[in-house]
Amino acid sequence: MPVTHWLRDNAEHYLLVAAQERVGQRYGAPPPRRPRGPKELFWLRLFAPVYRLLPWALRSRVLRAMPGSHRQQWASWAQPPSRREPGV
Amino acid sequence: MPHRILVIGGGAAGIGAAGGVKAADPGNDVVVYTEFEDVGYSPCGIPYVHGKEIDSFERLFLAQKEAYVQAGIDVHYETRVNSIDLKRKVIDVVGEGEVRWDRLVIATGFDYGDPGVPGSDLAGLYYVKNIRRAMKWDKVLDTVKSAVVVHATPLGLEMTTALAHRGIETHLVDPQPWALADVVDPDIIAPVQESWLELGVNLHFNTTLKSFNGDRVLASVGTSDGEIPAGLAVICTHKQPNIRLAAQAGLKAGPTGGLVVDERMATSVPDVYAAGDCAELPHGLTRVGVSGLTGSHAYAQGKVAGFNAGGGTKRYQPVYVPWGTPAGKWVIGGASLGETLATALGMPFVVGRAEGISRARYYPGVKPIKIKLLAEPGQLRLIGAQMVGQEGIKERADFLATAVKFGLTLNDLAAMENVYSPAIGALNEPIALAAQDGVQNASRAG
Repeated sequence: MPVTHWLRDNAEHYLLVAAQERVGQRYGAPPPRRPRGPKELFWLRLFAPVYRLLPWALRSRVLRAMPGSHRQQWASWAQPPSRREPGV
Repeated sequence: MPHRILVIGGGAAGIGAAGGVKAADPGNDVVVYTEFEDVGYSPCGIPYVHGKEIDSFERLFLAQKEAYVQAGIDVHYETRVNSIDLKRKVIDVVGEGEVRWDRLVIATGFDYGDPGVPGSDLAGLYYVKNIRRAMKWDKVLDTVKSAVVVHATPLGLEMTTALAHRGIETHLVDPQPWALADVVDPDIIAPVQESWLELGVNLHFNTTLKSFNGDRVLASVGTSDGEIPAGLAVICTHKQPNIRLAAQAGLKAGPTGGLVVDERMATSVPDVYAAGDCAELPHGLTRVGVSGLTGSHAYAQGKVAGFNAGGGTKRYQPVYVPWGTPAGKWVIGGASLGETLATALGMPFVVGRAEGISRARYYPGVKPIKIKLLAEPGQLRLIGAQMVGQEGIKERADFLATAVKFGLTLNDLAAMENVYSPAIGALNEPIALAAQDGVQNASRAG
C-alpha cells in the first residue's frame, strides 16, 4: 500500500473514532471502545489531539496538498458556481 | 473519426460508459467486458428482493441483452480481462487473446474489504453483488434461522432490515459505537436502531469480528462479544476500489485507493478513462478525494468517461454526495458532511435543528422528520445536512446537496418558500425551521 493511502486510511479512521467520542458525548450515545495497543494509542491519543490543535486553514492546506484526483483539472473550482441575476 | 473503445466492467459505470461512447459518435465501436452473466441490472435492489419488498429479481433488470445488441454495444459476458498493456494499447482477454483499443474505459468497480479473520473460506458467507448468486442465496434464506450481518455499512443497514423483514434472527456486528458511524450522527441513527430492536434485531456495536467457525460450513461467528450461532454471514464490509488490473498496468491511484482522474474522467495515462467505484473523485467542499459513492454517481461518471473516450467533451464535477436509504422503519439521508465527519476533519460549524412533519398535521399518513443543518460560522454557508424521517428524505437530500454546492446560507434557507398542500407538504418546511434555528444559534454564539 502506498504511503499516502496508508496515511489516509489510518488518519481518516482514527480521526473518525475521535470524532465519534466527542459527538457521541453530545447526544448521550455510547463512546467507541477504549484504544488498545501502541498503534491505537498513537493515533487516538497523539495524532488526533495534535491534528485538532492545528487551525482549520492549515489543516485544509495540508489536505489539499496531498496527491489525488483533487489535484487534477476541475474547471468548476476555477469558476465556482455563483449567484446569477434572473434571466428575465 | 470513429474510435474503437473497450470498456472493462459491466456495472453502472461500464454500461453508462458504453452508452456515452455511442452518444458521442454512433460510428464508434464499443465492446464491454464483464466477468458476470449479466449487465444492466440494479444490484442495489438485491436487498429489497431478499426483504420481499420487491417480488422478483427479474424486476431489477433495466434492459434485456437484445437491447444492447440493438444499441450497437457488444457485450462479452463471463469474460475475464487478464492484463492491460498501455504502451501497445492492447488488453489480454481470456479466450480471445490480445484485443486492440484506441481508448479504454476502466470501470472495474469495487471489492468488499477482506474481513481478515479465520474461516473466511467457509460456505455460508454471502457477498451481495451478483444477481445470479443472489437468486441462489435467496433460496438459502428460506432455510436459515439465524444470520449475522458483518458491519453496519449502507449495505449492512439494508441487509439487516431485509433479514429482519424475512423473519430471520438477525445479528448486526460492527466495531463502531453506532450504525454507519463514519457517516451518520448518533441522533439521526437512534430511531433506526430503536426500530431494529422492535423488529427483533440483535445489535452488537463496539464489537470486533474474530472468526467464522464451522466444519466447511458456517456454524457460528466469533466476536469480542461472544460466539453467535449462525447459518449465514452477510459480509457488508467497506467497499474497496478494485484497481488490480489498472495498478498492474501502471495507472496512478490516489490516497483513497481509487484511480486518479480529472474532470473528463481521464486517468494519468492518455486515452485511458476510469469511472465508478474504482475511481477517486474530489469532494466539492473539502476538496478531499472520496471513492465508493452511489450507483447514480457511477452511472453519471461512466457517461462522461464514455462520451470523452468516444471523441466528445463533457465534464464531471466535484461531488457533494446526496445520500439516503431506508433503515429499519425509517429513512435516513443527508448531503455533504454530518457533525461526525465535520468534527473529524476539524471544520468549524454551527448547527440548526428542527423536528417537522411531512404533510399537514391533520392529513392521514403524516410522518415526522428530523433535520439537522451544518453551516460555516461566519457567512452561515451550508456545509452539510442529515435527516431521519419516513417520506420526503430523498428529495430534501438532493436539494440540500445542491444548496451546499451553490453556497446557499442558513439565512437563505430560513426564508425559503415551500410547497404547501396538505397531502404532500406541511405549512412549515422542516428545512426552513432548522435553518431558522441555526441562525438563532449562530447569533447567540456571537
